Amino acid sequence: MSHTILSKVLRGILLAASVAAGASSAVAQNASAPGGGGIQRETSFPAIASGKWTGKRLRDGQPDIQGQWSNTIANHNNWTDPQGGVPGDPNPRAIPKTARSERAPSRVSDPADGQVPFQPWARALQQDFLANFHNPTRPEYIEPLARCAPAGVPKSFTWHGFEIRQYPGIVLIMFNSGSRLIYLDGRPHLPGSIKLWNADSRGHWEGNTLVVDVTNNNAKARLARTGEFASDKVHIEERYIFDNSGQRFNYVATITDPTVYTRPWTATIPVRRYTEKDEPDGWHYEVDVANTKDGHLQHEHPERVCIENNGPFGQVAVAPPKK
Amino acid sequence: MQHRSVLSGLVASIAFASLTIGSQALAKEKIPRLPNGKPDFSGIWQTTSAADYDLEPHSTRKDAPPSAGIVEGGVIPYLPAALEQKKKNFAARETDDPRLKCWTLGTPRGIYYPEPFQVLQRETDVTIVFQFGHSVRTLWTNDTLHPKATDNELYLGDSRGHWEGDTLVVDVTDFNEDTWLDRAGNFHSPQLHVIEKWRFLDENTIDYQATLDDPNVFSRPWNIEVILHRHREKNFQLIENYCYTRDFDQYYPVPAKE
Repeated sequence: MSHTILSKVLRGILLAASVAAGASSAVAQNASAPGGGGIQRETSFPAIASGKWTGKRLRDGQPDIQGQWSNTIANHNNWTDPQGGVPGDPNPRAIPKTARSERAPSRVSDPADGQVPFQPWARALQQDFLANFHNPTRPEYIEPLARCAPAGVPKSFTWHGFEIRQYPGIVLIMFNSGSRLIYLDGRPHLPGSIKLWNADSRGHWEGNTLVVDVTNNNAKARLARTGEFASDKVHIEERYIFDNSGQRFNYVATITDPTVYTRPWTATIPVRRYTEKDEPDGWHYEVDVANTKDGHLQHEHPERVCIENNGPFGQVAVAPPKK
Repeated sequence: MQHRSVLSGLVASIAFASLTIGSQALAKEKIPRLPNGKPDFSGIWQTTSAADYDLEPHSTRKDAPPSAGIVEGGVIPYLPAALEQKKKNFAARETDDPRLKCWTLGTPRGIYYPEPFQVLQRETDVTIVFQFGHSVRTLWTNDTLHPKATDNELYLGDSRGHWEGDTLVVDVTDFNEDTWLDRAGNFHSPQLHVIEKWRFLDENTIDYQATLDDPNVFSRPWNIEVILHRHREKNFQLIENYCYTRDFDQYYPVPAKE
Protein backbone atom coordinates (compact mmCIF):
# COMPACT_ATOMS: atom_id res chain seq x y z
CA MET A 1 0.00 0.00 0.00
CA SER A 2 1.44 3.32 -0.96
CA HIS A 3 2.00 6.13 1.45
CA THR A 4 -0.71 8.23 -0.17
CA ILE A 5 -3.37 5.64 0.26
CA LEU A 6 -2.14 4.61 3.65
CA SER A 7 -2.40 8.12 4.98
CA LYS A 8 -5.84 8.60 3.43
CA VAL A 9 -7.15 5.38 4.86
CA LEU A 10 -5.60 6.11 8.24
CA ARG A 11 -7.14 9.52 8.18
CA GLY A 12 -10.54 8.04 7.54
CA ILE A 13 -10.18 5.40 10.22
CA LEU A 14 -8.92 7.87 12.76
CA LEU A 15 -11.60 10.39 11.99
CA ALA A 16 -14.19 7.69 12.34
CA ALA A 17 -12.64 6.28 15.50
CA SER A 18 -12.34 9.59 17.21
CA VAL A 19 -15.95 10.43 16.50
CA ALA A 20 -17.59 7.07 16.84
CA ALA A 21 -15.61 5.61 19.70
CA GLY A 22 -14.59 8.84 21.31
CA ALA A 23 -10.93 7.88 21.05
CA SER A 24 -8.35 10.05 22.67
CA SER A 25 -7.31 12.88 20.44
CA ALA A 26 -3.71 12.59 21.56
CA VAL A 27 -3.60 8.89 20.76
CA ALA A 28 -5.27 9.40 17.42
CA GLN A 29 -2.93 12.18 16.47
CA ASN A 30 0.18 10.28 17.39
CA ALA A 31 -1.01 7.20 15.59
CA SER A 32 -1.77 9.25 12.48
CA ALA A 33 1.84 10.26 12.17
CA PRO A 34 3.77 7.55 10.33
CA GLY A 35 6.93 9.55 10.90
CA GLY A 36 6.28 9.41 14.63
CA GLY A 37 6.15 13.16 14.89
CA GLY A 38 2.67 13.43 16.29
CA ILE A 39 0.84 16.67 16.42
CA GLN A 40 3.01 19.52 17.43
CA ARG A 41 1.87 20.95 20.70
CA GLU A 42 3.20 24.35 21.48
CA THR A 43 1.85 25.61 24.76
CA SER A 44 2.66 29.21 23.92
CA PHE A 45 3.49 31.09 20.78
CA PRO A 46 4.92 34.45 19.76
CA ALA A 47 2.79 37.47 18.99
CA ILE A 48 3.43 38.86 15.50
CA ALA A 49 2.91 42.58 14.96
CA SER A 50 1.26 43.95 11.85
CA GLY A 51 3.76 46.09 9.96
CA LYS A 52 5.99 46.19 6.92
CA TRP A 53 6.71 43.14 4.79
CA THR A 54 10.43 42.81 4.10
CA GLY A 55 10.40 39.29 2.69
CA LYS A 56 10.06 37.92 -0.85
CA ARG A 57 7.38 39.27 -3.16
CA LEU A 58 5.57 37.84 -6.16
CA ARG A 59 5.40 39.50 -9.56
CA ASP A 60 2.11 41.23 -8.70
CA GLY A 61 3.66 42.65 -5.52
CA GLN A 62 2.02 40.29 -3.03
CA PRO A 63 4.19 39.01 -0.18
CA ASP A 64 5.20 35.48 -1.21
CA ILE A 65 3.72 33.23 1.47
CA GLN A 66 3.24 30.13 -0.68
CA GLY A 67 3.80 26.67 0.69
CA GLN A 68 2.69 24.16 3.31
CA TRP A 69 1.44 25.36 6.70
CA SER A 70 -0.18 23.94 9.82
CA ASN A 71 -1.42 25.16 13.19
CA THR A 72 0.97 24.54 16.06
CA ILE A 73 -1.17 23.78 19.09
CA ALA A 74 -3.84 21.14 18.52
CA ASN A 75 -6.71 19.96 16.38
CA HIS A 76 -10.41 20.81 16.52
CA ASN A 77 -11.25 18.80 19.64
CA ASN A 78 -11.72 21.78 21.88
CA TRP A 79 -12.03 25.42 20.86
CA THR A 80 -11.29 27.12 24.17
CA ASP A 81 -8.91 24.55 25.73
CA PRO A 82 -7.23 23.32 22.55
CA GLN A 83 -5.08 20.72 24.30
CA GLY A 84 -7.74 19.71 26.79
CA GLY A 85 -9.51 17.04 24.74
CA VAL A 86 -13.28 16.90 24.38
CA PRO A 87 -14.97 17.18 27.82
CA GLY A 88 -16.93 14.06 28.63
CA ASP A 89 -14.74 11.81 26.53
CA PRO A 90 -15.44 8.25 27.75
CA ASN A 91 -11.88 7.23 26.95
CA PRO A 92 -9.85 7.72 30.16
CA ARG A 93 -6.69 8.33 28.11
CA ALA A 94 -8.33 11.42 26.67
CA ILE A 95 -8.47 13.17 30.02
CA PRO A 96 -5.59 15.64 30.07
CA LYS A 97 -2.94 14.94 32.69
CA THR A 98 -1.66 18.49 32.79
CA ALA A 99 -3.02 21.52 34.61
CA ARG A 100 -4.93 24.02 32.46
CA SER A 101 -2.13 26.57 32.94
CA GLU A 102 0.35 24.15 31.33
CA ARG A 103 -1.70 23.86 28.16
CA ALA A 104 -2.03 26.23 25.21
CA PRO A 105 -4.31 29.22 25.75
CA SER A 106 -7.86 29.44 24.49
CA ARG A 107 -8.28 30.25 20.81
CA VAL A 108 -10.54 33.04 22.06
CA SER A 109 -7.98 35.80 22.57
CA ASP A 110 -10.61 38.44 23.28
CA PRO A 111 -12.56 38.58 25.62
CA ALA A 112 -9.79 38.02 28.13
CA ASP A 113 -11.62 35.17 29.87
CA GLY A 114 -11.05 33.02 26.78
CA GLN A 115 -14.73 32.18 26.38
CA VAL A 116 -16.95 32.75 23.36
CA PRO A 117 -19.36 35.51 24.50
CA PHE A 118 -22.51 33.53 23.73
CA GLN A 119 -25.97 34.86 24.44
CA PRO A 120 -27.60 32.60 27.07
CA TRP A 121 -29.72 30.63 24.57
CA ALA A 122 -26.67 30.06 22.36
CA ARG A 123 -24.55 28.96 25.31
CA ALA A 124 -27.24 26.45 26.21
CA LEU A 125 -27.27 25.12 22.63
CA GLN A 126 -23.46 24.83 22.54
CA GLN A 127 -23.58 22.91 25.83
CA ASP A 128 -26.25 20.65 24.35
CA PHE A 129 -24.08 19.94 21.28
CA LEU A 130 -21.12 19.17 23.57
CA ALA A 131 -23.13 16.99 25.96
CA ASN A 132 -24.30 14.87 23.02
CA PHE A 133 -21.07 14.77 21.05
CA HIS A 134 -19.79 11.44 22.31
CA ASN A 135 -23.07 9.63 21.92
CA PRO A 136 -25.02 11.40 19.20
CA THR A 137 -28.69 10.43 19.33
CA ARG A 138 -29.89 12.93 16.73
CA PRO A 139 -28.39 13.75 13.32
CA GLU A 140 -27.59 17.34 14.30
CA TYR A 141 -25.39 16.08 17.15
CA ILE A 142 -22.97 14.57 14.63
CA GLU A 143 -20.29 17.13 14.09
CA PRO A 144 -20.53 17.94 10.34
CA LEU A 145 -16.85 17.37 9.63
CA ALA A 146 -17.42 13.76 10.69
CA ARG A 147 -19.62 13.55 7.59
CA CYS A 148 -16.75 15.12 5.66
CA ALA A 149 -18.45 18.43 5.19
CA PRO A 150 -15.92 21.22 4.64
CA ALA A 151 -14.62 22.40 8.00
CA GLY A 152 -15.48 25.99 7.14
CA VAL A 153 -14.14 29.29 8.44
CA PRO A 154 -12.27 29.40 10.79
CA LYS A 155 -12.18 25.74 11.83
CA SER A 156 -10.28 24.60 8.72
CA PHE A 157 -7.13 26.15 10.20
CA THR A 158 -7.21 23.65 13.08
CA TRP A 159 -7.79 20.58 10.88
CA HIS A 160 -4.66 19.11 9.26
CA GLY A 161 -2.01 21.06 7.41
CA PHE A 162 -2.94 23.17 4.40
CA GLU A 163 -1.25 24.62 1.34
CA ILE A 164 -1.28 28.21 0.10
CA ARG A 165 -0.73 28.97 -3.58
CA GLN A 166 -0.78 32.53 -4.91
CA TYR A 167 -1.58 34.02 -8.29
CA PRO A 168 -1.95 37.59 -9.51
CA GLY A 169 -4.95 38.89 -7.57
CA ILE A 170 -5.80 35.54 -5.95
CA VAL A 171 -4.80 33.54 -2.87
CA LEU A 172 -5.80 29.85 -2.94
CA ILE A 173 -5.87 27.90 0.32
CA MET A 174 -6.25 24.15 -0.03
CA PHE A 175 -7.37 22.44 3.15
CA ASN A 176 -7.70 18.78 3.98
CA SER A 177 -11.44 19.30 3.67
CA GLY A 178 -12.33 21.90 1.04
CA SER A 179 -10.56 24.91 -0.42
CA ARG A 180 -10.90 28.70 -0.46
CA LEU A 181 -10.26 31.14 -3.29
CA ILE A 182 -9.62 34.62 -1.89
CA TYR A 183 -10.00 37.37 -4.48
CA LEU A 184 -7.82 40.46 -4.01
CA ASP A 185 -9.27 42.51 -6.89
CA GLY A 186 -11.85 44.45 -4.91
CA ARG A 187 -14.87 42.80 -6.51
CA PRO A 188 -18.11 42.74 -4.51
CA HIS A 189 -19.17 39.72 -2.46
CA LEU A 190 -21.65 37.20 -3.84
CA PRO A 191 -25.34 38.04 -3.34
CA GLY A 192 -26.27 37.59 0.32
CA SER A 193 -28.77 34.84 -0.40
CA ILE A 194 -25.94 32.49 -1.40
CA LYS A 195 -24.63 30.65 1.67
CA LEU A 196 -21.55 28.45 1.50
CA TRP A 197 -19.68 26.03 3.76
CA ASN A 198 -16.42 27.87 3.11
CA ALA A 199 -18.12 31.27 2.76
CA ASP A 200 -17.05 34.02 0.33
CA SER A 201 -13.71 35.78 0.76
CA ARG A 202 -12.39 39.17 -0.39
CA GLY A 203 -8.88 40.14 0.64
CA HIS A 204 -6.20 42.77 0.44
CA TRP A 205 -2.66 43.11 1.74
CA GLU A 206 -1.63 45.63 4.40
CA GLY A 207 2.15 45.24 4.68
CA ASN A 208 2.78 41.82 6.23
CA THR A 209 -0.91 41.20 6.82
CA LEU A 210 -3.47 39.58 4.54
CA VAL A 211 -6.83 41.05 5.52
CA VAL A 212 -9.84 39.01 4.37
CA ASP A 213 -13.51 39.91 4.65
CA VAL A 214 -15.60 36.74 4.96
CA THR A 215 -19.35 36.68 4.34
CA ASN A 216 -21.98 34.31 2.85
CA ASN A 217 -21.17 31.70 5.53
CA ASN A 218 -23.80 28.97 5.78
CA ALA A 219 -22.64 28.46 9.39
CA LYS A 220 -23.38 24.75 9.22
CA ALA A 221 -19.80 23.91 10.15
CA ARG A 222 -19.08 24.15 13.88
CA LEU A 223 -15.91 25.64 15.30
CA ALA A 224 -14.89 22.51 17.19
CA ARG A 225 -16.09 19.24 18.62
CA THR A 226 -17.01 21.28 21.68
CA GLY A 227 -19.97 22.66 19.74
CA GLU A 228 -19.23 26.37 19.36
CA PHE A 229 -21.07 27.88 16.41
CA ALA A 230 -22.17 31.03 14.62
CA SER A 231 -25.26 31.80 12.55
CA ASP A 232 -25.43 32.55 8.84
CA LYS A 233 -25.45 36.25 9.79
CA VAL A 234 -21.83 35.93 10.92
CA HIS A 235 -19.25 38.36 9.59
CA ILE A 236 -15.59 37.45 9.97
CA GLU A 237 -12.64 39.74 9.39
CA GLU A 238 -9.48 37.68 9.13
CA ARG A 239 -5.98 39.00 9.58
CA TYR A 240 -3.17 36.65 8.57
CA ILE A 241 -0.16 38.35 10.13
CA PHE A 242 3.06 36.97 8.66
CA ASP A 243 6.42 37.04 10.41
CA ASN A 244 9.05 38.54 8.11
CA SER A 245 11.08 35.35 8.40
CA GLY A 246 8.28 33.74 6.37
CA GLN A 247 8.22 30.84 8.81
CA ARG A 248 5.12 31.65 10.84
CA PHE A 249 1.88 33.52 10.84
CA ASN A 250 -0.82 34.17 13.35
CA TYR A 251 -4.38 33.91 12.16
CA VAL A 252 -6.40 36.54 13.99
CA ALA A 253 -10.11 36.73 13.20
CA THR A 254 -12.72 39.13 14.52
CA ILE A 255 -16.04 37.32 14.62
CA THR A 256 -19.22 39.38 14.72
CA ASP A 257 -22.72 37.95 14.97
CA PRO A 258 -25.21 39.95 17.04
CA THR A 259 -27.76 37.16 16.72
CA VAL A 260 -25.55 34.70 18.64
CA TYR A 261 -22.94 36.63 20.66
CA THR A 262 -23.15 39.51 23.13
CA ARG A 263 -20.17 41.24 21.49
CA PRO A 264 -17.62 40.70 18.71
CA TRP A 265 -14.81 38.39 19.74
CA THR A 266 -11.37 37.47 18.45
CA ALA A 267 -9.94 34.08 17.55
CA THR A 268 -6.18 33.53 17.33
CA ILE A 269 -4.56 30.45 15.77
CA PRO A 270 -0.76 30.15 15.52
CA VAL A 271 0.59 28.58 12.34
CA ARG A 272 4.01 27.53 11.14
CA ARG A 273 5.52 26.63 7.80
CA TYR A 274 6.52 23.09 6.82
CA THR A 275 9.23 22.38 4.26
CA GLU A 276 11.46 19.58 3.02
CA LYS A 277 13.41 20.00 6.28
CA ASP A 278 10.42 18.48 8.06
CA GLU A 279 9.49 14.82 8.17
CA PRO A 280 6.09 14.18 6.56
CA ASP A 281 3.75 13.13 9.38
CA GLY A 282 0.41 12.51 7.69
CA TRP A 283 -1.33 15.27 9.63
CA HIS A 284 0.42 18.65 9.73
CA TYR A 285 2.54 17.81 6.74
CA GLU A 286 0.57 15.47 4.49
CA VAL A 287 2.97 15.20 1.59
CA ASP A 288 4.58 12.55 -0.56
CA VAL A 289 8.09 12.49 -1.96
CA ALA A 290 8.04 13.68 -5.56
CA ASN A 291 9.80 11.57 -8.17
CA THR A 292 12.48 14.01 -9.28
CA LYS A 293 14.78 13.26 -12.19
CA ASP A 294 17.96 14.07 -10.31
CA GLY A 295 16.78 12.53 -7.06
CA HIS A 296 16.74 15.75 -5.03
CA LEU A 297 14.24 15.78 -2.17
CA GLN A 298 11.02 17.52 -3.05
CA HIS A 299 7.62 17.08 -1.42
CA GLU A 300 4.23 17.38 -3.04
CA HIS A 301 0.66 16.90 -1.90
CA PRO A 302 -1.34 14.28 -3.83
CA GLU A 303 -4.74 15.13 -5.32
CA ARG A 304 -7.06 17.17 -3.10
CA VAL A 305 -9.82 14.63 -2.87
CA CYS A 306 -10.63 13.70 0.69
CA ILE A 307 -11.31 10.00 0.43
CA GLU A 308 -13.91 10.36 3.12
CA ASN A 309 -15.80 12.65 0.78
CA ASN A 310 -16.03 9.90 -1.75
CA GLY A 311 -16.20 6.71 0.18
CA PRO A 312 -17.75 5.37 3.36
CA PHE A 313 -16.10 5.40 6.73
CA GLY A 314 -17.19 5.00 10.30
CA GLN A 315 -20.85 5.01 11.12
CA VAL A 316 -22.06 8.27 9.75
CA ALA A 317 -20.78 8.76 6.21
CA VAL A 318 -22.04 5.78 4.29
CA ALA A 319 -21.79 5.57 0.54
CA PRO A 320 -24.34 3.54 -1.40
CA PRO A 321 -23.34 -0.14 -1.58
CA LYS A 322 -21.09 -1.25 -4.41
CA LYS A 323 -22.94 -2.97 -7.16
CA MET B 1 -9.72 39.70 -69.37
CA GLN B 2 -9.47 36.14 -68.27
CA HIS B 3 -5.79 36.66 -67.63
CA ARG B 4 -6.55 39.71 -65.54
CA SER B 5 -9.17 37.99 -63.44
CA VAL B 6 -6.77 35.10 -62.75
CA LEU B 7 -4.17 37.61 -61.74
CA SER B 8 -6.53 39.51 -59.47
CA GLY B 9 -7.65 36.20 -58.02
CA LEU B 10 -4.06 35.34 -57.34
CA VAL B 11 -3.44 38.71 -55.74
CA ALA B 12 -6.56 38.27 -53.65
CA SER B 13 -5.53 34.84 -52.45
CA ILE B 14 -2.03 36.04 -51.61
CA ALA B 15 -3.58 38.92 -49.72
CA PHE B 16 -5.97 36.51 -47.99
CA ALA B 17 -3.14 34.14 -47.17
CA SER B 18 -1.06 36.86 -45.65
CA LEU B 19 -4.11 38.11 -43.75
CA THR B 20 -4.66 34.60 -42.38
CA ILE B 21 -1.03 34.26 -41.41
CA GLY B 22 -1.22 37.74 -39.94
CA SER B 23 -4.27 36.96 -37.80
CA GLN B 24 -2.73 33.67 -36.63
CA ALA B 25 0.39 35.53 -35.63
CA LEU B 26 -1.78 38.09 -33.90
CA ALA B 27 -3.69 35.36 -32.07
CA LYS B 28 -0.38 33.84 -31.03
CA GLU B 29 0.79 37.18 -29.72
CA LYS B 30 -2.48 37.88 -27.98
CA ILE B 31 -2.73 34.71 -25.93
CA PRO B 32 -1.85 35.30 -22.29
CA ARG B 33 1.58 34.10 -21.24
CA LEU B 34 3.48 33.52 -18.03
CA PRO B 35 6.77 35.37 -17.49
CA ASN B 36 8.59 32.28 -18.83
CA GLY B 37 6.72 32.66 -22.13
CA LYS B 38 4.48 29.61 -21.74
CA PRO B 39 0.75 30.03 -22.47
CA ASP B 40 -1.17 31.02 -19.34
CA PHE B 41 -4.52 29.20 -19.15
CA SER B 42 -5.55 31.03 -15.95
CA GLY B 43 -9.26 31.73 -15.95
CA ILE B 44 -12.62 30.07 -15.55
CA TRP B 45 -13.58 27.63 -18.32
CA GLN B 46 -16.53 25.53 -19.39
CA THR B 47 -17.62 23.50 -22.37
CA THR B 48 -20.86 24.20 -24.21
CA SER B 49 -20.86 20.64 -25.56
CA ALA B 50 -23.19 17.84 -24.52
CA ALA B 51 -20.19 15.55 -24.00
CA ASP B 52 -21.04 14.66 -20.41
CA TYR B 53 -24.43 13.24 -21.43
CA ASP B 54 -22.80 10.73 -23.75
CA LEU B 55 -19.38 10.84 -25.39
CA GLU B 56 -20.68 8.87 -28.35
CA PRO B 57 -23.17 10.11 -30.99
CA HIS B 58 -26.78 9.73 -29.88
CA SER B 59 -30.29 10.82 -30.76
CA THR B 60 -32.39 12.71 -28.28
CA ARG B 61 -33.64 10.74 -25.32
CA LYS B 62 -35.30 11.53 -22.03
CA ASP B 63 -32.04 12.11 -20.17
CA ALA B 64 -29.89 13.61 -22.92
CA PRO B 65 -30.10 16.19 -25.68
CA PRO B 66 -29.00 14.91 -29.10
CA SER B 67 -25.32 15.23 -29.90
CA ALA B 68 -22.78 14.05 -32.45
CA GLY B 69 -20.53 13.22 -29.52
CA ILE B 70 -16.85 14.07 -29.17
CA VAL B 71 -15.25 10.70 -29.94
CA GLU B 72 -13.04 10.67 -33.02
CA GLY B 73 -14.60 8.08 -35.35
CA GLY B 74 -17.79 8.06 -33.29
CA VAL B 75 -17.35 4.75 -31.46
CA ILE B 76 -15.46 3.89 -28.29
CA PRO B 77 -13.51 0.69 -29.10
CA TYR B 78 -14.59 -1.50 -26.20
CA LEU B 79 -13.32 -5.02 -25.71
CA PRO B 80 -16.28 -7.47 -25.87
CA ALA B 81 -16.63 -8.05 -22.10
CA ALA B 82 -16.23 -4.35 -21.40
CA LEU B 83 -18.93 -3.52 -23.91
CA GLU B 84 -21.31 -5.77 -21.97
CA GLN B 85 -20.41 -3.87 -18.78
CA LYS B 86 -20.96 -0.57 -20.55
CA LYS B 87 -24.44 -1.73 -21.58
CA LYS B 88 -25.20 -2.65 -17.97
CA ASN B 89 -23.95 0.73 -16.82
CA PHE B 90 -26.12 2.44 -19.43
CA ALA B 91 -29.19 0.56 -18.26
CA ALA B 92 -28.50 1.56 -14.65
CA ARG B 93 -27.31 5.09 -15.37
CA GLU B 94 -30.11 6.79 -13.46
CA THR B 95 -28.87 5.28 -10.21
CA ASP B 96 -25.23 4.26 -10.73
CA ASP B 97 -23.58 7.33 -12.21
CA PRO B 98 -21.02 8.40 -9.55
CA ARG B 99 -21.91 12.04 -10.25
CA LEU B 100 -25.27 11.41 -8.55
CA LYS B 101 -23.35 10.77 -5.35
CA CYS B 102 -21.30 13.89 -6.07
CA TRP B 103 -18.14 11.87 -6.18
CA THR B 104 -15.17 13.53 -7.79
CA LEU B 105 -15.72 13.30 -11.55
CA GLY B 106 -12.22 12.22 -12.52
CA THR B 107 -10.10 12.88 -15.59
CA PRO B 108 -11.08 13.79 -18.26
CA ARG B 109 -14.76 13.97 -17.20
CA GLY B 110 -14.23 16.97 -14.92
CA ILE B 111 -13.09 18.98 -17.94
CA TYR B 112 -16.23 18.52 -20.06
CA TYR B 113 -18.74 18.31 -17.21
CA PRO B 114 -21.24 21.19 -17.58
CA GLU B 115 -20.06 23.23 -14.60
CA PRO B 116 -17.19 25.74 -14.60
CA PHE B 117 -13.67 25.00 -13.42
CA GLN B 118 -10.92 27.45 -12.64
CA VAL B 119 -7.36 27.18 -13.87
CA LEU B 120 -4.67 28.81 -11.74
CA GLN B 121 -1.21 28.60 -13.19
CA ARG B 122 2.37 29.00 -12.03
CA GLU B 123 5.49 28.02 -13.92
CA THR B 124 5.76 24.87 -11.80
CA ASP B 125 2.16 23.71 -11.91
CA VAL B 126 -1.33 24.16 -13.28
CA THR B 127 -4.02 23.96 -10.60
CA ILE B 128 -7.60 23.15 -11.53
CA VAL B 129 -10.35 23.88 -9.01
CA PHE B 130 -13.62 22.25 -10.02
CA GLN B 131 -16.88 23.87 -8.97
CA PHE B 132 -18.53 20.42 -8.83
CA GLY B 133 -17.36 18.78 -5.63
CA HIS B 134 -14.71 21.47 -5.30
CA SER B 135 -11.93 18.96 -5.77
CA VAL B 136 -8.53 20.26 -6.80
CA ARG B 137 -6.25 18.75 -9.43
CA THR B 138 -2.60 19.68 -9.90
CA LEU B 139 -0.91 19.23 -13.28
CA TRP B 140 2.78 19.32 -12.43
CA THR B 141 4.96 21.16 -14.95
CA ASN B 142 8.08 21.09 -12.76
CA ASP B 143 9.91 18.30 -14.58
CA THR B 144 8.87 15.67 -12.02
CA LEU B 145 7.85 12.15 -13.03
CA HIS B 146 4.91 9.95 -12.06
CA PRO B 147 5.33 8.55 -8.53
CA LYS B 148 7.40 5.40 -8.26
CA ALA B 149 4.46 3.77 -6.48
CA THR B 150 1.75 3.20 -9.07
CA ASP B 151 -1.02 1.90 -6.83
CA ASN B 152 -2.18 5.19 -5.35
CA GLU B 153 -5.49 4.80 -7.24
CA LEU B 154 -6.42 8.44 -7.44
CA TYR B 155 -9.78 9.83 -8.51
CA LEU B 156 -8.17 12.49 -10.71
CA GLY B 157 -5.07 10.53 -11.65
CA ASP B 158 -1.47 11.65 -11.36
CA SER B 159 -0.79 14.42 -13.91
CA ARG B 160 2.68 15.27 -15.23
CA GLY B 161 2.85 17.91 -17.95
CA HIS B 162 5.38 19.26 -20.41
CA TRP B 163 5.27 21.84 -23.18
CA GLU B 164 5.46 21.05 -26.87
CA GLY B 165 5.60 24.55 -28.32
CA ASP B 166 2.47 26.27 -27.07
CA THR B 167 0.69 22.98 -26.34
CA LEU B 168 0.58 21.65 -22.79
CA VAL B 169 0.84 17.86 -22.98
CA VAL B 170 -0.19 16.06 -19.79
CA ASP B 171 0.35 12.39 -19.07
CA VAL B 172 -2.19 11.09 -16.54
CA THR B 173 -1.98 7.68 -14.85
CA ASP B 174 -2.71 5.98 -11.52
CA PHE B 175 -6.51 6.02 -11.48
CA ASN B 176 -9.06 4.18 -9.38
CA GLU B 177 -12.19 2.60 -10.87
CA ASP B 178 -14.72 4.75 -9.06
CA THR B 179 -15.34 7.26 -11.83
CA TRP B 180 -17.29 7.10 -15.08
CA LEU B 181 -16.48 8.96 -18.27
CA ASP B 182 -20.01 10.32 -18.77
CA ARG B 183 -23.66 9.89 -17.79
CA ALA B 184 -24.12 7.10 -20.34
CA GLY B 185 -22.02 4.62 -18.39
CA ASN B 186 -18.83 4.80 -20.40
CA PHE B 187 -16.15 3.65 -18.01
CA HIS B 188 -12.54 2.61 -17.45
CA SER B 189 -10.39 0.50 -15.15
CA PRO B 190 -7.45 1.56 -12.92
CA GLN B 191 -5.28 0.89 -16.00
CA LEU B 192 -6.65 4.01 -17.68
CA HIS B 193 -3.95 6.16 -19.25
CA VAL B 194 -4.89 9.63 -20.49
CA ILE B 195 -2.76 11.97 -22.59
CA GLU B 196 -4.22 15.48 -22.65
CA LYS B 197 -3.33 18.27 -25.05
CA TRP B 198 -4.27 21.81 -24.05
CA ARG B 199 -3.78 24.68 -26.48
CA PHE B 200 -5.27 28.10 -27.11
CA LEU B 201 -7.32 28.67 -30.27
CA ASP B 202 -7.50 32.30 -29.23
CA GLU B 203 -7.21 34.04 -25.88
CA ASN B 204 -10.74 33.04 -24.86
CA THR B 205 -10.90 29.52 -26.31
CA ILE B 206 -9.01 26.34 -25.49
CA ASP B 207 -8.86 23.28 -27.69
CA TYR B 208 -8.76 20.26 -25.37
CA GLN B 209 -7.83 16.88 -26.78
CA ALA B 210 -7.35 13.65 -24.93
CA THR B 211 -6.24 10.17 -25.88
CA LEU B 212 -7.63 7.41 -23.66
CA ASP B 213 -6.09 3.99 -23.41
CA ASP B 214 -6.93 1.11 -21.09
CA PRO B 215 -5.86 -2.44 -21.97
CA ASN B 216 -8.55 -3.89 -19.66
CA VAL B 217 -11.39 -2.03 -21.34
CA PHE B 218 -10.51 -0.75 -24.82
CA SER B 219 -9.09 -2.55 -27.85
CA ARG B 220 -7.00 0.48 -28.86
CA PRO B 221 -6.39 4.08 -27.82
CA TRP B 222 -9.13 6.55 -28.82
CA ASN B 223 -9.43 10.30 -28.98
CA ILE B 224 -11.81 12.98 -27.84
CA GLU B 225 -11.80 16.70 -28.54
CA VAL B 226 -13.79 19.45 -26.90
CA ILE B 227 -13.70 23.25 -26.98
CA LEU B 228 -13.56 25.17 -23.71
CA HIS B 229 -14.82 28.73 -23.46
CA ARG B 230 -13.61 31.37 -21.04
CA HIS B 231 -16.23 32.80 -18.69
CA ARG B 232 -16.12 36.53 -19.34
CA GLU B 233 -19.16 37.61 -17.34
CA LYS B 234 -18.31 40.49 -15.01
CA ASN B 235 -17.02 39.23 -11.65
CA PHE B 236 -17.75 35.60 -12.59
CA GLN B 237 -16.52 33.24 -9.90
CA LEU B 238 -16.89 29.63 -8.86
CA ILE B 239 -19.62 29.02 -6.31
CA GLU B 240 -18.62 25.98 -4.26
CA ASN B 241 -20.78 22.97 -5.00
CA TYR B 242 -19.88 20.43 -2.33
CA CYS B 243 -23.01 18.66 -3.39
CA TYR B 244 -22.29 15.51 -1.36
CA THR B 245 -23.37 17.65 1.60
CA ARG B 246 -26.91 18.03 0.29
CA ASP B 247 -28.16 14.80 1.84
CA PHE B 248 -27.31 15.99 5.33
CA ASP B 249 -27.70 19.77 4.94
CA GLN B 250 -31.12 19.46 6.52
CA TYR B 251 -29.61 18.25 9.80
CA TYR B 252 -27.68 21.44 10.28
CA PRO B 253 -30.23 24.17 10.52
CA VAL B 254 -28.57 27.44 11.33
CA PRO B 255 -29.21 28.08 15.00
CA ALA B 256 -31.27 31.22 15.41
CA LYS B 257 -32.72 32.84 18.46
CA GLU B 258 -36.40 32.02 18.71
